[in-house]
Amino acid sequence: MADAPGPSQLFEQWKKQFEEGAQAWSRLITQTAAASPSPTPDPTAFWRPVLDQGVQTWAKLFAQTPATPELLTQWKQFLDQWIEAWSKVLGQAMGTEQFAKLLGQSLDQMLVAAAPAKKAMDQQIEQALQALNLPSRSQVTAIAKQIVELEDRIDRLEDSISAKLRRLAERESR
Amino acid sequence: MAQERFADVVERFTSGFAADAPAETIKQWQQELERGFRRLQNLHGLMTNPVEPKTGQTPRVEIYKRNKSRLYRYESTRTHRTPVLFVPNLGISRPYIFDLLPGGSFIEHMTKQGFDFYLLDWGVFGPEDNDLSVDECVTKILPRMARRVLETSETDELSVLGYCMGAPISASFVASHPEVPVKNFVNMAGPIDFAKVGLFGLWLGKDKFNVDRFVDTLGSVPADMVKAGFKLLKPTMDLSTNLNLWWNLWNDKYLEGFQALNKWANEYVAFPGEFFRQWVRDFYQDNKLYRDELVMGGRPIRLERITCPVFVVGAKEDYIAPPECVRALLDKVGSREKEYIELPGGHISLIAGRGAAVHCWPKVSAWLGPRS
Repeated sequence: MADAPGPSQLFEQWKKQFEEGAQAWSRLITQTAAASPSPTPDPTAFWRPVLDQGVQTWAKLFAQTPATPELLTQWKQFLDQWIEAWSKVLGQAMGTEQFAKLLGQSLDQMLVAAAPAKKAMDQQIEQALQALNLPSRSQVTAIAKQIVELEDRIDRLEDSISAKLRRLAERESR
Repeated sequence: MAQERFADVVERFTSGFAADAPAETIKQWQQELERGFRRLQNLHGLMTNPVEPKTGQTPRVEIYKRNKSRLYRYESTRTHRTPVLFVPNLGISRPYIFDLLPGGSFIEHMTKQGFDFYLLDWGVFGPEDNDLSVDECVTKILPRMARRVLETSETDELSVLGYCMGAPISASFVASHPEVPVKNFVNMAGPIDFAKVGLFGLWLGKDKFNVDRFVDTLGSVPADMVKAGFKLLKPTMDLSTNLNLWWNLWNDKYLEGFQALNKWANEYVAFPGEFFRQWVRDFYQDNKLYRDELVMGGRPIRLERITCPVFVVGAKEDYIAPPECVRALLDKVGSREKEYIELPGGHISLIAGRGAAVHCWPKVSAWLGPRS
């Protein structure tokens, strides 16, 4: 009986399927272009060889492998590696200058579009609350800031008093 | 030889399999079936009766508060004389990650080792805090917190331990306040040289990210945006997290840890606007801390003025504060005694999880202990 294939072998088989699928696609393009000037590409012609190959490979795999829970563990490890591979690919894509510029531009466009709308909405809400004789967010925020400033003053007073008491204590100890 | 049909494979599996299978294989399948059943049971429990995980259970007392910031002192045998002031990141996430669960808590570990442990909880910020700056944190909040630590612990010196963003902020404080008697400084996964900070450094670059427009438009960085930024760093994280959850769902202990960590991982905190502006401009874009160009409250911040023993911990797979960015602190401090260690795992694995309890926390407490 053949040994159970390890995760690296499963990964190699997946890679092989993907490459052969891509080759099938490029063969299809070449053949179709040679056959007629402007053919209508058949999408299933790409997926059919990939799927057929995949099913055959996995059928062979299951035929060779004893059915134990270790197969599930290997499947999990394969998925982990597949996710890790995708993570690396995405990481590389996001680590490019182009991506960073695109991200910055998208954010900038969002902010430029959002700024006037946000300002208009804030003003309308402020007016509506005023009309209803209710406090607005800016008023509540202002009160909160005043409280923070008062706390700060009390802290400074406490520090000053503590410093003076320490000096007094030092003088008395002399 | 003709290729075996898939139907033949299925027939071979379903007939006569059990009779031919060895006892060990049958036992493994039984175990797997039991685990499958436990998975479905726990999944049902998660969906119909989710239990709020009990985090932050190490006993503590609130010593001082200033606006949203709180200073907590944890119960401890206090066998080490020098207290430890722990300065975590401001905003981003809640600090109960450091005291996640009994048996899996950095704070619990340190208090059991006999350290008089103080945690600075920066708090959850609202629009009234948008004027809070890095300057204020370094020149007003931290000195006051340090003073309170010294008063309540009745000692002449303290150790400062900074994690993540808390490390460059506390390093700036230590470097610019020589009058505060800091005996030891520990940097855990704190970025210092922002030229080597990885993806965030690239995305927040001056030519790509207009921080002034961002803050002037939004006022603050909403928690959802902070979450989106961190999720973008590792887009496949949720996929692998859920895959691992399904794989380990039969394990009640794993589930308990997962629920606690997942709660924290999805609870983000907004950044005050002015803090974010200064943080991005002075640290990420201009790298002023490393270049000795930072000035706060009129005081120049020169890392060479840190002369106490320094311990730096980096994580090999940290993509938020890469090891070379963290290690750079050793190149700048004026300390004669300085040490760097690099541990397996990522940014969070230094402060939470089984790996942290085995690899990181004992090393931090072992370094601090004789110096406390």
